[in-house]
Amino acid sequence: MNRIGKLFALALLVAVAAHLATVLAAPYVLMNAAMKRISKDGTKINQWIHAPPTTEQSRRVVRPSPDIAYSACVYDLAAGPIHVTAAPWGDYLSVSVFGQNSDNIYVVDDRQSPQGMDLLIVRKGAPHPPGAAVVVESPSRRGIVLQRRLAPTQERWDAADAARRHDICGPLKG
Amino acid sequence: MTRFLAPVLAVLAGLIVGIGSALLVLGNGQLLGRSEKDYWFGNKNAGAAAADPYTRGIVANIGLLAMNRNESVYFHRYKDDHGAPLHEGCVYEMKGGKLPARWWSVTIYAADEFLPMNKDQASSLDATRIAGQADGTWTARLADDQAGAANWISTRSAGTFSLSLRMYNPEDAARDDPMSIDYPSLKLLSCTGGST
Repeated sequence: MNRIGKLFALALLVAVAAHLATVLAAPYVLMNAAMKRISKDGTKINQWIHAPPTTEQSRRVVRPSPDIAYSACVYDLAAGPIHVTAAPWGDYLSVSVFGQNSDNIYVVDDRQSPQGMDLLIVRKGAPHPPGAAVVVESPSRRGIVLQRRLAPTQERWDAADAARRHDICGPLKG
Repeated sequence: MTRFLAPVLAVLAGLIVGIGSALLVLGNGQLLGRSEKDYWFGNKNAGAAAADPYTRGIVANIGLLAMNRNESVYFHRYKDDHGAPLHEGCVYEMKGGKLPARWWSVTIYAADEFLPMNKDQASSLDATRIAGQADGTWTARLADDQAGAANWISTRSAGTFSLSLRMYNPEDAARDDPMSIDYPSLKLLSCTGGST
């Protein structure tokens, strides 16, 4: 191979490696950016952040629905399991857990759990706390829990906002 | 000098091409489609651990925090029924019927993946508010003005836009075979500066 050929091969090799590295890194980069925005630069970790009604000004997560009352919690399992609850809702309600690579690792809705949600998130492979009915193993230390309550009108949104006020997303106590 | 400069330039060129091509792919939501029908497209692995790196990357870019197929079906469209891109300034008519899910909605997004910057409070249609016929069929206007329409999505300040269809708690058949769904049609009626 002559010198030009070697240079072309080098450029091609770097291009393929850079392409794959970018594709693989993108979900982590975008999740980290979302976690930073939701947690207000890391100051609101392990707690629900109840979003206001979705409008044209809602810019934390792409493609939000204006018909849903969203609550998000950036979790960090460094200090142990996280306890998550969501009060029952008389319409569609789901709680979904996302790993740091953006995979939806768990989701439960009101049909499966009409009495509301009560679950623990632990690091994958960590011991399950005794007595916990639902334990979600996260492959990553950090991630996002997202709560969706169907609330397409102002009246329903107000009711959803009241229903979620006592929901928990925080370190397991006791 | 050239002896050392040429490899550096080759590496730089490789980085530019490699990173640039990846960003182009990840930024093009239309490449997500593995299932496509009537210009609506989606991917059954959106949000799932089984997603390939490209699907995961595109979903993270255009639909971060999407739930997996067991819970919801997401489909998107960037074109009208004749394959033309969707533009603010044109008037469209969407027609649909009962969709196979507990709840569904159609929402408009501008090119930046967020709701268009207007105050019309008409960014979506949903199953609980849609005004339709007794047989479940409905018609909606997509335009920058309501013009008396019972169902309206405002395209004001949307630029070149796209639509997302959400179906929560889809019926088994819809979840297993999205091609069986009768998706809403989208007909271009007219555009500012000319009629179609």
